[in-house]
Formats: sequence, C-alpha cells, structure tokens
Amino acid sequence: MITFDKVFKRYPGNMDALQNINLEILPAELVFVTGPSGAGKSTLLKLISSVERPTSGTIVFENRNLSQLKSKDIPYLRRKFGMIFQDHKLLYDRNCFENVSLPLDINDIEGLDINRRVRAALDKVGLLNKEKVMPISLSGGEQQRLAIARAIVSRPSILIADEPTGNLDREYADEIMNIFYSFQQVGVTVIISTHELPITPIKHKKVHLIGGELKDQINYAKLLS
Amino acid sequence: MLNYFHNHFQAFNRAMVRIFSNLASSFMMFIVIGVTLFLPSSGLLIVENIAQISNNIAYDAELSLFLKKNIKQDQIDFIQSALSKTSVIKRVHFESKLTAWDKLQSKLNLNPLDTGISENPLPDAFFISLNTFDEKAINVLIDNLKTIDGVENIFFDAGWVKKLRSILYLIKIGLAFLGVILIIVLIVVIGNTIRLQTLTHKDEIEVSKLIGATNSFIQRPFIYTGLMYGLGGGFITVFTLKLSIEIFNKASINLEAMLGGTFILKNLIWQQNLTIITIAMLIGCFASFFAARQSIKKFEIFK
Repeated sequence: MITFDKVFKRYPGNMDALQNINLEILPAELVFVTGPSGAGKSTLLKLISSVERPTSGTIVFENRNLSQLKSKDIPYLRRKFGMIFQDHKLLYDRNCFENVSLPLDINDIEGLDINRRVRAALDKVGLLNKEKVMPISLSGGEQQRLAIARAIVSRPSILIADEPTGNLDREYADEIMNIFYSFQQVGVTVIISTHELPITPIKHKKVHLIGGELKDQINYAKLLS
Repeated sequence: MLNYFHNHFQAFNRAMVRIFSNLASSFMMFIVIGVTLFLPSSGLLIVENIAQISNNIAYDAELSLFLKKNIKQDQIDFIQSALSKTSVIKRVHFESKLTAWDKLQSKLNLNPLDTGISENPLPDAFFISLNTFDEKAINVLIDNLKTIDGVENIFFDAGWVKKLRSILYLIKIGLAFLGVILIIVLIVVIGNTIRLQTLTHKDEIEVSKLIGATNSFIQRPFIYTGLMYGLGGGFITVFTLKLSIEIFNKASINLEAMLGGTFILKNLIWQQNLTIITIAMLIGCFASFFAARQSIKKFEIFK
C-alpha cells in the first residue's frame, strides 16, 4: 500500500531527519512508529501525507510516487487519509457536528449524506449526544475522540495519528487506542506514531526509529500468527 | 452541480458569520469603502451635470454674420438662400439695420438728435443657429461665408463654452486619476484586512489543508467577505451621494432668490447606482482574492 524506498529527508541546516528508510506498509495493517523525541516519527508521517517531500528516495502510494506529486494533486491525496494529531487541531468556533462535517464539505458530499455520516461517525466514537456542543467544553479524551470522528467521517483507507494519546491519561489513552484497533479490524490501515508501544494483544507492526534511522522493524502480526 | 452551489452557499454563510461576528469592524470597512468611492463618484456626478449644461448651451449658440453697409437687397436674398441650403445651419434669422437701430434706440431710450448720430450705424445681419458643435465643420462654414460678397464680419461667440468643456475634460481626467489611486488604496486596505483575517483563521486554514481542502476552497469564504465589504461600501456610496444631492438641491432652491437662478443636480439613475455597487464589489472581490491567495500559500503545516 505504502512503500518507502531508500528515503532520506534533510531539513535546512543539514539536519538529517530520516536516513535510508526502507519500509512497506500493507493494507489493513496496524503500524506503530516508535522512538524517542527527534527520532523522525513525525517526519515519517509528514512524508506520507505529503506535508514534506523526501530529499531523495521514493515513496509509493497506490502506484503513485509521492515525491513527484504535483502541488495541485496533494489535497486530493490527503482526502484519502484520516489524520489525527496530539493537539487534536479542532476548530473551537464550530460545534462538534460542524467539526466532523468539514472533510465532507471539502469532499463535495451532499447535505443529507453529510448529516447521516457525521452522526454515524459521532456514534462510533460515543459522542452522538454532543453534536451541538462546542469542543472547548469537552474533556481531553472526548476532544481526541471528536478528532477521530472527523478523521473517519470521509471513510479513508488510511488513518494517520501523530502521538494521539500523548496528552491523555492512561484511561483515555486506552480508550483511544481501542477505537483505532476497531478500525484496523474492519480493514483500515492505521499508522500511529508514539513514544511508547502500548500493551496490545492485537496483531501489529512496530517500526522503531532512532536518530532518523530505522533501527527495528518487527511484524507482530506474523509472529502472532 | 448541486454540491458546487452547496459549497458556495456554505462559504457565503461562513463569510456572513465572520462579518456579523465582527459587526463593528465590518461596518467600519463599509464606511471606509463607501467614503473612498464617494470622492471620485461625487466629482464625476458634478462634472457630468455641468457638462450636460454646457452641451445644451452649445446647441443654442449662434453665429452672427454682419453685412456690408452698402449691400443690395438682391445680395441679401442670395446670402439668405445660400445659408438656408447649408446643412450645418439649423435656423436663420435676418435682422435689417433699420429694425436693429429701432430696437437699440428703444432699448436705450436714445434720441438721434440728442446723440448727434445722423445716420444708422448698424449693419444688416443674419443670426444663425447651428445644429453642430464640431469645430472643423464650423470653421469650414465660417471660411465659406467669408468668401461671399457683401459679408463684412462673422462672430462665433462660443469660445467660453469650448473653454468650459476643456476644463471639464481636464477635471474628468483628474477625477479618473484620483479614482484609480483611490481604487488602489481600497485594494490595499481591503487586502490587508483580509490578510489579517487569514491570520485570525490560521488554525482553520491549517486543519482544512491537512484534511484535503484545496486553496480555492479555503479562499472562498474570504472572497465572499471581500465581496460583501464591497456591497456594503457600495451601498454607503450610493446612499451618501443621494443624500448629498438632496442637500445640495435644497440649498440651491433656497438660494434661488439670492442668486437669481438655480443649479439642480440630477439624481443618479438606477444603472449608475448599480455600476457603483458593482465596481465596489469587484474591488472587494479582487483585493480579497489576491490577499487570501498570497496568505494561504504561506501556511504549511503539521507540528
């Protein structure tokens, strides 16, 4: 589904964020990108979502080389991903329903369909009763669930989450992870960057980065099977 | 197609929310646009009114053709028939020297015996109304008339109209220049306001970009905001112009007795009002389009 081939990323100032990354992410795979701060986890996700371009090497997604993607095609690529962030990136001047419906507006989905799909997404994350509530009045865990609802509402084939539990308590963090597992169970590819690998019985792949290099790649899915 | 309109309606809605949530600053923007456009618009309105008057004067202007004193009646008849066949002449009025002399005497209460004037000093004359104000055509006519035997002098007393027209033309150019400068000022002011709005909505822009919004999708509410600024400003210009015309005309009527005449400004017709509002909206649209495009391009994301 996504293939990294000899990917290097160097930021201005000759800082190597990623070095010689070779990686394959398969459909419906749950991938944890782990490593300490500055390891290159966020850069890896940025490259997938075309927020950054690699300095060299190729990243192939659905038979398209992302490093050669034209700027005008990037928004259409991003519509295939659902993205979740540590700081939620919610719009605090809009209510929960409006936050979740934003990707559908962007995707030119019809009004009635928007209503149905937003309610379904909110239901999935347990926030159906809060559709008119403003995000500021939600707890941290609820805000993250709202961000997940926004990410899944356009039914993406890949969910990308950048440290989604970084600001949450253990209880909320487990709750969020369970939601991700449920999506992986129904065939969505889930890529999560995190400092620490959660204890999980679910089949997953661990990609461990240190100093921009891929130090470890363990496929627990194969091991468990 | 329905989605296209739905998207535009949503962008328009978002723009209206932004305008109404900052009603005071939005109203200030309307006033800035309205007053700025009022300056050249009112100037052009006054010039148009004066030009209208000068046009009317031009068509009533007369050419005075004075004949030699010893001219014979058959020569006068010949000149009259020649004049009546000339295409640029609308009307010809002949005034004999006797009639003119009688009129002058009665007007000034003159008695020839008192003045010591023994004979009529006035010549026979034709007063010609022209149906053109084309300078070349009039000069050709004057040159032709001068060649006719028996013609002494020709006066075309419309020089001041020409001067007035030249002055009006210069004022028009000046106002057009002022208009262009003020439009540039408006573009800068609106553009800057929209640029500040993009900074206020930085988070929204970033999130929208991350979830696949195109720049044109993000730009749309800002363009509608600029368009609505233009609409509000345009209405203020039209309203202010109407109010100014009413106040001016009332004052002009009140001063009629003192000045011995009135100068009434014509009210704007609906097409002119619509033109002003359309220009204001186009300025708003143009300014917001470029300001939003430049700002949005700068936001690239992911932290």
